[in-house]
Amino acid sequence: MSRDHAVNDWYPVADTVRPGARATRLLDTDLQVAWDGAAAAVTDAAGTAHPVQIRYGHVWTCLGAAPRALFEISEAEEPGRRLVPCGRVRVRCSPLRAVENFLDIAHFPFVHKGILGAEPQTEVFPYAVKIREEVDEVWATQVRFHQPQAAKSAGGATEIRYEYRVPHPMAAVLYKTCPPRPEAWDVIAIFVQPVSETECIAWPWMALYDDESSHAEMVQFQQEIFVQDRSILENQLPVRLPLDPRMEIPTRADLTSIAYRRWLKRRGATYGAMTEAQ
Amino acid sequence: MTPCPVALSRDLPPGGVKRVFARGRELALWRGASGQVAAWDNRCPHRGMRLSHGFVRGDRLACLYHGWQYGTDGTCAHIPAHPELCPPATIRATGCDAAEAGGVIWVAPEGYAAPPELPRGLVALRSLTFRCDAARLARICGLEAAPVLYLPDHPSLVILPNPLPGGQVEAHVLTAPLPAADRVAAVHLTEALRRAAEAEETA
Repeated sequence: MSRDHAVNDWYPVADTVRPGARATRLLDTDLQVAWDGAAAAVTDAAGTAHPVQIRYGHVWTCLGAAPRALFEISEAEEPGRRLVPCGRVRVRCSPLRAVENFLDIAHFPFVHKGILGAEPQTEVFPYAVKIREEVDEVWATQVRFHQPQAAKSAGGATEIRYEYRVPHPMAAVLYKTCPPRPEAWDVIAIFVQPVSETECIAWPWMALYDDESSHAEMVQFQQEIFVQDRSILENQLPVRLPLDPRMEIPTRADLTSIAYRRWLKRRGATYGAMTEAQ
Repeated sequence: MTPCPVALSRDLPPGGVKRVFARGRELALWRGASGQVAAWDNRCPHRGMRLSHGFVRGDRLACLYHGWQYGTDGTCAHIPAHPELCPPATIRATGCDAAEAGGVIWVAPEGYAAPPELPRGLVALRSLTFRCDAARLARICGLEAAPVLYLPDHPSLVILPNPLPGGQVEAHVLTAPLPAADRVAAVHLTEALRRAAEAEETA
C-alpha cells in the first residue's frame, strides 16, 4: 500500500564498513549494491542504476523519480565523535513497527531488563511531544528514565534524559545524555531498510563520545538490544502498523507513538501500515 | 457446536501460558496461580504483542512488551508505565469461554464451551501434531472425521482432534487407565499413526 509515496525517500541498503557487493531488496525490488570503499552503485534486476549517496556510514539509494532530501544529522560532522555503524538486524516485521519500537521507552524494564530498565522503576514521567511543522518532523523532548546500564560507557545506574526525533518515516534519531560528557548528547539512530511491508533490515548507527569502548564492544551492545527488540517485533499482530486509532489502545506514555502514527497518516506514508480497521 | 480441545490440563500447570488455536482463532491460553484457565485473543490490546509470550504473576497475565497485567476476567489491572493509574475498564483482553473436563481444556471460539460427553475415567496420554488435516487423521484411524475418535482397533484409546492453521491437526490422546508398559505401547502406537498419516499420499 502506498509504495508510490515511499519510493521517493532515501533508504540505507549497505554500510560502508567493508568494500563488497551485496544482493538485497528494497520496497519489494531486488537490488545489487556495490561499494568499493570510495564509490557505490545500486542497480536493479533490469540493469537500471539508481542514485546513491554515502551518508552516516551507509550507502543510501532512492527508487523514485522525485527524491525528497535526506535528513541532516549535524552531530555527524562534530569533531571528537566516534561514528559507529552497528551492523544490521533483519526483522520479519513492518518497517514502521521497528521505528515505533525505537521511540518507545515503556518497554525497557521488560524487554531490556537490567540494561535499559528494571522493575520496579517502570514509570514513564510526563514528556513533551510535538510535530515541528517548520521541519515536518516528530519530536519528543524532556523524556527521562531510570536505567541500570544506559550505554557501554555508563558505569552504573543513572537517570537518563532523552530526546527523540523522527525526520523520515523509516528513520529515527535518539539524543541521549552522555555519561562521560554531561553537556553533550550521544546520538543513536535507527535507519530502516524496508524490504517489504512486512520485513525490514534495521541499521543502527551511533555518533558518540566514548574513548574507552572498542568498536566491537559498542556494536555488541547495540546488537544485544536490537535482538531483544526483535523477539517483540516478530510477534506483534497485525504485522502492519495500524493507523486507525481504534485498533490499539495507547496511554500517556505512548505520546510519541501517537504523534508518529498521526504524522505518517497525514503525509500518506502508509507503506507497512494498515489504514483501516480490519 | 462442539468446543475445541486445545490442550491437556496437565500440560498447562499454574503459571503456564501457551499459544493455541480454536477453529482458526489464535489464542493465548493461561492458568493463574489459583488454577483458573483463560483463553484470550493472542494480542495485547495496547500494541498487539502476542500474549502467549507473556508471563503469569499470581492470577494475572502480563504482556512481555510493556508488562500490562490482565486479571482472569480479561480486564487490565495494572499499567507499569503509570503505576498510580487505575486502568479504565475499557482496556480488556477479549476472551473465549474455556472449560476443563476429563483432563482436557476446551475452548469455544463463539458461545459457551460445553465439553462433549466422554467415557468416565479416561486419563491423558499425550498431545501430538500431525502434518495432515483432520480428515486424514480420522481416515488413518479407520473413521470418519468427528470431534471424538474412538479407535476401533484400540478400544482403550480416544483421540480428540483439533485442526490447526496450515492444514495440520493436533491430537489430544486419552486412554483408559493402563499399566505403565501399556502406556508406553500406546505412545508408540500414536507415533505409528502419525507416520502412517503423514506418509499417505494426498488424495
